[in-house]
Amino acid sequence: MTETPPAKRKCSGSDCDNDAGTLQCPTCLKLGMKESYFCSQDCFKKNWSTHKAAHKSQSSFLSNIFTPNVVSKPDPDTGTYNPFPTFPYTGALRPVYPLSERRVVPKLIPYPEYWKDGVPHSEMTFVGRTKIEILDEKKREGMRKVCRLAREVLDIAARAAVPGVTTDYIDEIVHKACVERDSYPSPLNYSNFPKSVCTSVNEVICHGIPDQRVLVDGDILNIDVTLYHGGFHGDLNETYYIGDKAKANPDAVRVVEAARESLDLAIKLVKPGGLFREYGNVIEKHAKSKKCSVIRTYCGHGINSMFHCSPSIPHYAKNKAVGAAKEGMCFTIEPMIALGTYRDKTWPDDWTSVTQDGKMTAQFEHTLLVTKDGVEVLTARLPDSPGGPIPMPSSEEKKPEVNGEATPQ
Amino acid sequence: MTASMTIDDEEEPPLLVDVEGEGDPDSEEPPVVKVPITIVTGYLGAGKTTLLNYILKAQHGKKIAVILNEFGNSADIEKTLTVNTGGEQVQEWLEVGNGCICCSVKDQGVNAIESLMDKKGAFDYILLETTGLADPGNIAPLFWVDDGLGSTIYLDGIVTLIDAKNIIKSLDEPAQDTIPTEGHDEHEGHEGPLMTTAHLQISHADVIVLNKSDLVTQEELQAVRERVQAINGLAKIHVTQQGQVPNLEGFLLDLHAYENVESLDVAHKGHSHLDPSITTITIQVPVLEAEQLPALDEWLRSILWDSTLPSSDSTVANIQAESHEIHRLKARIPLSNGDVKIVQGVRDIFEIRDAPSGSSTSSEGKIVIIGKRLLGKSFKESLLSMIRR
Repeated sequence: MTETPPAKRKCSGSDCDNDAGTLQCPTCLKLGMKESYFCSQDCFKKNWSTHKAAHKSQSSFLSNIFTPNVVSKPDPDTGTYNPFPTFPYTGALRPVYPLSERRVVPKLIPYPEYWKDGVPHSEMTFVGRTKIEILDEKKREGMRKVCRLAREVLDIAARAAVPGVTTDYIDEIVHKACVERDSYPSPLNYSNFPKSVCTSVNEVICHGIPDQRVLVDGDILNIDVTLYHGGFHGDLNETYYIGDKAKANPDAVRVVEAARESLDLAIKLVKPGGLFREYGNVIEKHAKSKKCSVIRTYCGHGINSMFHCSPSIPHYAKNKAVGAAKEGMCFTIEPMIALGTYRDKTWPDDWTSVTQDGKMTAQFEHTLLVTKDGVEVLTARLPDSPGGPIPMPSSEEKKPEVNGEATPQ
Repeated sequence: MTASMTIDDEEEPPLLVDVEGEGDPDSEEPPVVKVPITIVTGYLGAGKTTLLNYILKAQHGKKIAVILNEFGNSADIEKTLTVNTGGEQVQEWLEVGNGCICCSVKDQGVNAIESLMDKKGAFDYILLETTGLADPGNIAPLFWVDDGLGSTIYLDGIVTLIDAKNIIKSLDEPAQDTIPTEGHDEHEGHEGPLMTTAHLQISHADVIVLNKSDLVTQEELQAVRERVQAINGLAKIHVTQQGQVPNLEGFLLDLHAYENVESLDVAHKGHSHLDPSITTITIQVPVLEAEQLPALDEWLRSILWDSTLPSSDSTVANIQAESHEIHRLKARIPLSNGDVKIVQGVRDIFEIRDAPSGSSTSSEGKIVIIGKRLLGKSFKESLLSMIRR
């Protein structure tokens, strides 16, 4: 807990000479107006009729409530614009619109149920949310196939992720690679997600929408790929360093490697009888040892003929998750690790999730099949997969990092 | 998005927020004021609406939100909610984000309430009125949020209203639509006493309000009380007329039923066979060594997650008996090192945690279980053989 004594502040109430403690007007806080401290609720109430005028003068107030009609003017050179110009962004990243047209999947490729109306109906049934399916050998083979294809697509996307290309370009690469493999890119129109892959840059925790943002040297980029093939979904993601600047940034390396290692540690616990609630304990312990935090809002999930189903796998410690792994279950573990706060905020696009302090986050994900005596990492790296662990930049510290540890299996 | 999110021009000032602890992003738990949520269940006609209206009227100066309609049963929830501020009632919309259910841990209803409080300032209390036929065991887990999620609401407890005149009939001669189908195992060729939604509403309750007591005789009221206590020996019972109650705090509000576990006094042990479907059982547990806690945890996992009673001769015994179904579990377990552990469970979800410091110690531990098909099984022997392994 924090022990910092509050600085002496004066109450904002008119005719009030009291010192203010730490009580602030919640509306002002929302609007980013920092200095509105009051000594008490009573004093605040007395001053409400005049104080609230301050909210009105803040032009962003309306836009916090209504989706803005006005958008920023398109950049005359590129034609791009920020669709939510008054949104209080938490970091430097902005959406760069317009999004490209929705990409088309050839009709010959089997579509998942949500391709048209965006609703994953079978995931919403009672069974979809509570029962954990045990896959027979035929279904396991189906999962192996789609996960292997998903790994190939992620690797292709990762090789294309270099300074100077847009995340929309990554989306195009992923989409084409899926289609070439007779696969539907699962994110496309899942709960109305507009694109074929999630691209999450820097402070974006997950669910970033590919747009016209150009990758720059020093970014970190998570690419989250899911394919639907032969009736099954295969899901994985990795975070990549964009350019040499990122690899030389000790903070970037610390958070990316902490995320990579915490996933590897959690996977070691996966075996029949292993408890779902334990994975979060080792993930949080490792994150803390690297002075990082664990995002709480998003969790791993069951995956098979449904994109997301039970079990839910929390990544934080001391959770009450029910159940143990059994042979034939398939689920993901996908820890999101942050340099600063674990608290998240969602952009008005209803998808992009960012850290509240705007600091970097990183994530890694595998689809796992529980075997008779352990686990099969269905989305395991291939010998030539791009990315992979790197050491801490030497200037920062000499301490040897525990690494070179290939993904289990 | 909805038209009712108007700007709060004429509104009361929101509650100030305490920003102490800000500025250190690494600090694990910035202090959050948590608002209690009480689930109110009961059949149509039991008097839920009357009681809630009474609370809204009686609690001047408190900001109480009453959430109506069913909840947690369907994914497409965009529900209204009544907020009472200083005697005036306002309708609000709960805004639910995109439908991505499975990759978010928190229930959408919880998120919707949190975001409404973000906009409008925190409430003092939230009351969730369920439909007459809601199974509270499906709803409670949604609001029993992991501490790690830092939610601004917490589950305070479940209050069930009972119509004293009609409850016995509801339990014994259920209408077809009061027999629950989701999540219960009644369709496996099992022949036995029927379990109704009334049973579920009683078995999960932390407080039971025996309403309409003026419509029955003293003897009838006593019979109802005994029947209810045979099902749920842990719940506090209050007898009322027209949903009027003298004190709300500690009676309907501020129950803290999912936090500390104190004495665990079970009412009317002798009557446990009164109801054929659901019963309350008590298990006395000796003071445990800290090293025995993993065995206790394993035992709880077995009985709660797998509905299996581990037996010392792990062969036939538990296969033959029909498996039990546990609705609520509470325990207080003193350890030989002076620590005290408490266990809270609802359906298959449970948690072992430290008792608050300064709470009383005792020479014996106790586990109380409420559920179906508990009788005639040796829970105590099963537990003892597990921890003495």
